Amino acid sequence: GAAEVQYLNTDVDTDSAKFEEYRDLDSGFRLALLRLLGESDDRERVIDFRVINAPRDDARYTLSYGRAGSYGITLDYNRIPHNFGNNGRLLWTRTAAGRYEIPDEIQRRLQTEVGFNRPNLFFPFLNELLAPYIANADEIDLGIQRDRASAAVDFGGMRRFSWGLEYTHENRSGTRPFGGSFGLFNATEIPEPIDHDTDQAELSGEWKGAAGGLRFGYRHSRFQNNIDTVRWDNPFRVNDSGDPLGILAPTPLSIGGSSTGIADLAPDNESNLLFLNGRARLGAWWVNGGATYNQMEQDDELLPYTTNRGIRLLNDDGTPFDPTIPDTLPIRTAQRESTRMSLSAQAGRRFGKLWDLTFRYRLYDFDDESPRTEFPFYISFQASFVNRARITVPYAYRTQDATAELGRNLGLATHVALSYTLRMVDREFREVDSSDENVFRLALDNRPTDRWNIQAQYEHGDRSIDGYNPLAQLHNLSIPDPLITTHPDMRKFDQAERTYDSLRVQTQWAATDAVGLSFGVSGRDESYDESIFGLISDELLEYNAEVNYSPGENLSFFLFGHRADRQSFQRNRESGGSPSEDPADDWTLDLDEVTDTWGLGINKKFAKRWTSEVSAQWSRSDGFADFFSPPGGEPDLAEDFDDYDDIDLLALFGRVDYQITSHASAGLSYRWEEYDIESFLLRGLRNYMPGAILLNADNGDYTAQILGVNVTVNF
Amino acid sequence: GAAPQEPQAEPAPAFVGGEVCATCHADAADHLKGTPHGKQAFASLGPQGCETCHGPGSAHVQDPENPALHPRIDKLPATVQSEVCQKCHSGKSQFFWHGSVHESRNLSCISCHSIHSFKSDTGQLKAANTAEACVSCHKDIRAQLWKSSHHPIREGKMTCTDCHNPHGSATPKMIRAASVNEQCYTCHQEKQGPFLWEHPPVQESCLNCHTPHGSNHIKLQKASVPYLCQQCHANLQHPSELLDASRLGDRPQGPDGESGAANRLFNRACSNCHAMVHGSNHPSSPYLAY
Repeated sequence: GAAEVQYLNTDVDTDSAKFEEYRDLDSGFRLALLRLLGESDDRERVIDFRVINAPRDDARYTLSYGRAGSYGITLDYNRIPHNFGNNGRLLWTRTAAGRYEIPDEIQRRLQTEVGFNRPNLFFPFLNELLAPYIANADEIDLGIQRDRASAAVDFGGMRRFSWGLEYTHENRSGTRPFGGSFGLFNATEIPEPIDHDTDQAELSGEWKGAAGGLRFGYRHSRFQNNIDTVRWDNPFRVNDSGDPLGILAPTPLSIGGSSTGIADLAPDNESNLLFLNGRARLGAWWVNGGATYNQMEQDDELLPYTTNRGIRLLNDDGTPFDPTIPDTLPIRTAQRESTRMSLSAQAGRRFGKLWDLTFRYRLYDFDDESPRTEFPFYISFQASFVNRARITVPYAYRTQDATAELGRNLGLATHVALSYTLRMVDREFREVDSSDENVFRLALDNRPTDRWNIQAQYEHGDRSIDGYNPLAQLHNLSIPDPLITTHPDMRKFDQAERTYDSLRVQTQWAATDAVGLSFGVSGRDESYDESIFGLISDELLEYNAEVNYSPGENLSFFLFGHRADRQSFQRNRESGGSPSEDPADDWTLDLDEVTDTWGLGINKKFAKRWTSEVSAQWSRSDGFADFFSPPGGEPDLAEDFDDYDDIDLLALFGRVDYQITSHASAGLSYRWEEYDIESFLLRGLRNYMPGAILLNADNGDYTAQILGVNVTVNF
Repeated sequence: GAAPQEPQAEPAPAFVGGEVCATCHADAADHLKGTPHGKQAFASLGPQGCETCHGPGSAHVQDPENPALHPRIDKLPATVQSEVCQKCHSGKSQFFWHGSVHESRNLSCISCHSIHSFKSDTGQLKAANTAEACVSCHKDIRAQLWKSSHHPIREGKMTCTDCHNPHGSATPKMIRAASVNEQCYTCHQEKQGPFLWEHPPVQESCLNCHTPHGSNHIKLQKASVPYLCQQCHANLQHPSELLDASRLGDRPQGPDGESGAANRLFNRACSNCHAMVHGSNHPSSPYLAY
């Protein structure tokens, strides 16, 4: 076994949560590694206990025990932190799970001020009004801890029949930023309370015969959200208002809205999956395939239309209709159920030493079996009554892929394969009912010498559709058919006609036993030429190069570099209350992002007792948003920006260890990281922004130094 | 004249036993004892010891210096190499090896695994761990893992094989589950639904909006919000609005005291209000606000 105890001294210049996004590097001791290996006297049964980073938030404990080829048991406990932001300012006080409140007297004071100053309800006034409360607000760190425990048992090992049982329980707890909103000008960011439990259990079996095999199993998954809703106070209202323009508050147009917001958080759900796989050899042919059937359901209790008691409605007969009572809903629970089913089969054979042929077919069917439920109206953002009926839509789709691939060996060193795939998609309730995509692929795998290999692939795809109904989705959501609310020339890229070409070439060359080189280039060019609005093109070009040098056990070195250049182009047209027909209202956007990534690593042993390790990684993204709008329309001008998420990360690490005895060593490590982000989304961000109250938790720049002292014992 | 001699028949190769192999390859034999292939279970599956995989060694024993007689598996064609392993490893994870992408691209088991000199704690990999094994070929993925928005792979909290089965699966891209979405739901169950109000591109594929190996934008988005949303939404009023630099969060106030900043262009942009883009269960939220 082995044990490594480490003391970390961590110095970070900011409170950015990014530094410990998925890890725990706080100052203090940790058991960086513990490994205990044991064998029975006959060396047949093996136990392996592994601990990493105990007892920290990113610890992992794994115990496995078994007899190779016969049975095995694995227990695993994996802790995964996910930190989103530190030191956010929370205007609210958490008074219960899923409840954030502001004292009534503060709400009353703010409502009064807003009412008295209605003509001045612009950012400067509101900013000044909220400033003292934000200054005194509590701080909050946003993050989730995911703790996953699993147990797996395998019986049968390599025998003809084998069985497996696996159970996983996971709890996620903490908070993450959530977009609560009272309307177009009062978006309120709150911490979403997270307390999720998930259980998954799978029983599987396998039979292996001389010419084939079967695998089958059942998996049950249950997700439970222990906090069903989150409810938060509206800072600007102490009592409810039914002002029809409340969605525009607080502005000179309205000071209405609800006194509280409420969101229905992720509902509990369940899924039941059956699977069956088979494989066989039929003469010269190999055949395999599989089928899955996955039923998913959720039936959470529904919230009422609103909790805003200021909204008073009448039935057709003139009697009061209370939208705050769940009994007035057409259904009290969600009653949702869907199935996902897949069928796949492939078969292939070789013809002599030169030719091979493969056929593949795959069907995937998603069917929403939920009833269509009509809601005669809705309350927008808890504020404004919208007298338009909406009906739930059981979207469905089916994909089918049929492929034929012919391969040929060219000598002993080269294999080429040409394939054709017909990809068919059928959808219900969406803009495109049916599409076909022809995909041609040519692949080359070449090994000119024992030390050199080349892999290359070119692919071309061409998708055609049977027509595009831009209003289908909205029409299916609305009763009766609504006014046109989207531009008819918009084409959604996931369904639109397109062509694409992609190319990938990668070569690796072991120049000597010690020196290796590799180089690659890849690219993909997607074109949506038939789309007038929406995504028009998306191009990606990448290069990579690497050199490594390992002259022996005492030294290894690698250096790699990678560049990715991605450019996309999209077009839109600004419309008001009806679709604009004026091309001068168009605007376009070229997004260009170049990402460079470099890595370096050196491992060296020297003077018998010393080992050292050095590594460096640098990643830099540089993005640019290039807008254009023709003159004469609305918009008339367009202004570019150059921080389409510019990010630098430099990480340096070094470690030296000295072997004190044959069983013990001690060492020092040093890690230096610098993270710098300039994002257009973060520009000028503070707790009160025009039309939004934000937590503004710190997830930005940091420079960190971590000094580690470690002692390792082998036993 | 003398009658022509009949050519001597080559002696049929014969098994010599693992003990004979160990006389010259002691290091390999010792190392093997600590691995599953050195256990009794393997002996019961393959009674010929080393020769179970390497084949009869008599010719090599008789002429050990002849490289043509070295029973080296790595010199065989890739398909033959894999057939050696598949004699036993044909089920479980390896069930769909035939027809898999890696098989069809002429890789074999020993492209990634080593029987005698592996570096990993589990899986007998040539690389130190699973992720390193994968990125030794998938260089573009290695670069993506270093992007700001990423899954915790470089932190070691998950790895490539949590989502992919490198030995093949019945799903494209060697995804373990039956579809991309079903794979994502194994960790993100709260997004599974089905919901009262659905966002159909989300139901079809998470990859319509997300890129799982790394992104320069928040939440592993393919393009950043709000422009990602505007690639599909040209709805009237605010969804079709030009959100250029003049609407950024640091824009100064206009003459009426109002700021030029749009709350659709800072922080989380569209999702400042449309928080439930994966689906909503609220009767009043057909547009996925909450």
